Amino acid sequence: MHHHMKLRVSLATVVLLGVSTAHAHEAIFSWTYTTDLTPKGHGEFEQWVTTRWEKEHGSYSVVDFREEFEYGVTDNFQLAIYLNHHYVNANDDIPVADPAHPKRVLPGVFETGGEDVHAGHNPAKPFDSYHFESVSLEGIYRLLSPYKDPIGLALYFEPSVGDQETELEWKILLQKNWLEDRLVWALNVNYELEYEKEDDGYERDGMFEWFTGLSYRFVSNWSAGLEFWNHHEFADATVHEHSAYFLGPSIHYGGERWWATLGFLHQLPIGQAFSQDNKEFAAHDGYIFGDEHEKYYVRFRVGINF
Amino acid sequence: MSTKNITCASESGSTFSRTVKAEFAFIALPVSALIAPSAFAVRYLTVDQAQQAIFPAKSFTAAPVKLTSVQRKSIEQASGVRVLHDEQQVWRVSGGGWFIVDEVVGKHEFITYAVGLNADGSVKQIEIMDYRETYGGQIRDQKWRAQFVGKTSKATLKLDRDIKNISGATLSCRHITDGVKRLLAFYEIGLKH
Repeated sequence: MHHHMKLRVSLATVVLLGVSTAHAHEAIFSWTYTTDLTPKGHGEFEQWVTTRWEKEHGSYSVVDFREEFEYGVTDNFQLAIYLNHHYVNANDDIPVADPAHPKRVLPGVFETGGEDVHAGHNPAKPFDSYHFESVSLEGIYRLLSPYKDPIGLALYFEPSVGDQETELEWKILLQKNWLEDRLVWALNVNYELEYEKEDDGYERDGMFEWFTGLSYRFVSNWSAGLEFWNHHEFADATVHEHSAYFLGPSIHYGGERWWATLGFLHQLPIGQAFSQDNKEFAAHDGYIFGDEHEKYYVRFRVGINF
Repeated sequence: MSTKNITCASESGSTFSRTVKAEFAFIALPVSALIAPSAFAVRYLTVDQAQQAIFPAKSFTAAPVKLTSVQRKSIEQASGVRVLHDEQQVWRVSGGGWFIVDEVVGKHEFITYAVGLNADGSVKQIEIMDYRETYGGQIRDQKWRAQFVGKTSKATLKLDRDIKNISGATLSCRHITDGVKRLLAFYEIGLKH
């Protein structure tokens, strides 16, 4: 982690042309990143709270917390460190495998489980617990500014280290503005590798996803928009398991010293399961649940600039 | 810069009521009615103060201009910048010259600024009348504003070329620069003759 940080800082220092192109890293979307960064020498504190709930059966709800500190190393390079932790409440939420045919579900029978339920928990009992997940380091380097170039472009890299899993995430961020920069479109193309601890080593998962959002500042300080998310999961980073789709509105307030954004995403019942395992255990009525997804997501972010 | 006066839409401010109207013109959402008070702003300079800062000891005669659609199009063509308001707040300055109050879109709110033009149409001085963004307060510094002095409609007026950018306020710098470029085109088309 430290090595990466040093490398990125020196790289950015070498590449820096001394041209200021920054703008406040203010999130007008809840999920989609723009290419706006915190300017050199400035910082920002962000609090994220994401609630996601409802699987195929029973009850399942998670509240994810994230406390983030961002710093503008240069006008085009921003570093952030954040804490990821969550609270989980689950009961009878996942299908049970048929003991006679382990690749099939036992119809109408459910147990307590899922990615956020601790390993070793008795699946017959409800689960209710808090867990500190990981610490992430995030670097974003902007190559083109949407205020000066035909399109904004930035590259994102984020390693996360936790007791159960280690993640590496790469993103390409694009932004295009119209109508005196009041209409903003952003697109993120993401790839993520996840190494999860198992009893006999680790499990590797790959994720390819893209987020896109369109937002309009309809009156001073206020923007409203729509976000879309498409997620592809790959078991062992090679076997395509499913594709899930999400859509929902977002509203944003931006002031002189702070901003806040509230976003909602609803999973669309047009998900596709590709692997036999996901067809049997994750797909239900067009939705994809399994370990990865829920039906509803609400995210609130608040940022304080200094 | 000079004293901070709190003003609002009801007072001295056709600018503010215009701000609200212009934004409503885009999307008239019922929610707007609830949050319109956000258009109340801290004003660094009143119109009088901006006039005295640019043209000390002169007198001013209001000469507002209502643009025709043809003029509007010509200004947009000449400057490459969209015209948001048909009405331009203009004052004729005693002894020659023009004083114009204008506004451009900021990151969060409209930025109101004044431009003083010499009798020959070149920029005498610009003053930021209100600015309430997170970063880029240096936009009000004399050094940044001085870059516009002497510019005419023939100037490039592009960020990073003849106008320096301010870290963290690219959008505001870009829009002020575009605004001055548009006003210089407005001078040629709507004031000069």
